[in-house]
Amino acid sequence: MKIMLLLCLIALFGCTQVKPWQRDRLAAPQMAFDTDPLETELRQHSAFSKEASSGGYGGGGGGCGCN
Amino acid sequence: MVAVEAVVAVTKRVTAAARLSAAALALPGLMPSAEAGRVEESYQADFQYGHYAESDQRMSVDIYQLHGAVPIGEAMTVSANLVRDVVSGASPMFNIKQRDGKPGQVLTGASIRDQRDAASGSLSYAFDPVTATLGGGYSAEDDYISRYVTGQLSYEFNHKLSTLTLAGSVAFDQIEPTGLNLKENKSNQQYLLGWSQVIDKNTLLKLNATFGYQEGFLSDPYKSVFFDGRGLLADTRPTRRYQWAWLGQLVRYFKPLNQAAWHLDYRFYTDSWDIDSHTLEMSWHQPLFEGWMLVPRLRYYSQNQAEFYQAFFSADDSVNRFSSDYRMAGFGALSGGVKLTREWLAPGSLDSLKLQVGFDYYDRKAAYQLAGDNAGDFADYHAYTVTASVQVRF
Repeated sequence: MKIMLLLCLIALFGCTQVKPWQRDRLAAPQMAFDTDPLETELRQHSAFSKEASSGGYGGGGGGCGCN
Repeated sequence: MVAVEAVVAVTKRVTAAARLSAAALALPGLMPSAEAGRVEESYQADFQYGHYAESDQRMSVDIYQLHGAVPIGEAMTVSANLVRDVVSGASPMFNIKQRDGKPGQVLTGASIRDQRDAASGSLSYAFDPVTATLGGGYSAEDDYISRYVTGQLSYEFNHKLSTLTLAGSVAFDQIEPTGLNLKENKSNQQYLLGWSQVIDKNTLLKLNATFGYQEGFLSDPYKSVFFDGRGLLADTRPTRRYQWAWLGQLVRYFKPLNQAAWHLDYRFYTDSWDIDSHTLEMSWHQPLFEGWMLVPRLRYYSQNQAEFYQAFFSADDSVNRFSSDYRMAGFGALSGGVKLTREWLAPGSLDSLKLQVGFDYYDRKAAYQLAGDNAGDFADYHAYTVTASVQVRF
């Protein structure tokens, strides 16, 4: 948790100001945190049905008989 | 719960309940995507087909996913998802103690076909600098029904270089196992606090923390536990579970490498059942030429066993919580895959058309557990997934 907070502070203050006209590359589809939501949903759920862990990625949702 | 004397008798009995096959691996979920809350500018229609198959004639699943999104005015997006999973195959039920003293896995018998149908929807509204999303969903199997609602708020600040996200969801599930006179409920709450940050003109960072609380019937009604000399008892887990997870995601742009992007994720997970896990995942998004893109991916996962897990128990084990579910065991998993994408911009009257095919291989071994004590290979297996999808923007 402390590491997370530290990373947050570094993230907020330790970085250069990126001007709006420099942000085009950040808007490229391959730069999205989730480049393919349907694929992510399938992969996450496949992992969820085989492993004991959940959480971290999304904001939660419904269950199924798979776990 | 149900106690049975002989393994053989139970094997026959539970064959009827081989629907657990179904239940045990119904794929896709209802987890809202990480990009939920984004307000779209074009109409979207996506379809994906996936085929998942485990080694040794175990579970196989056909997955059909449909997604649509419609922008309403400048600030609103409505989206809807439909999912169908068709499941068949055998699944592990319990482990017996073999003559050599080592555990051996017993699978369900005949393969039974089962189906899961799910629908979900959400509405996003952007009132700069905040975006609010409300959603909900419903998922039905023969023996399992889930209903849930979600809410999310995202706030952009610091010249839109930072985004703070708060999200929560509540799910209510009903379980009526086939062939068993049982009707149970469970609830699941999840809360998320997230921060994404533009680090520099090439780098993005996201940090999420989630907390989950599950209550009710958290056992697997189709799994049994072998007590040497006593027979089988039903899988019996605690009725509460607290879960914490921390996720870091880094995305880095490489302009000289034809605008490639590197994605690196790490997640640490811990819960009140004494399970800790580490997930490390990375992918490389390499644009090639004329709209082609190649995306190789690698993932490593490791977890230790739940406090109430044993491959089997001895007759004089005095425990009131016990499970031999292979998913509660200590193990590791290595997986990797590749996806090939072709995108056409402005074909005909469309904004874009994208076709994709993907392959993924998953290898689960007790020996892959991080600092684990390798409990043997009796529960090891592998699986592959192939996917094909089409995405249209108009």
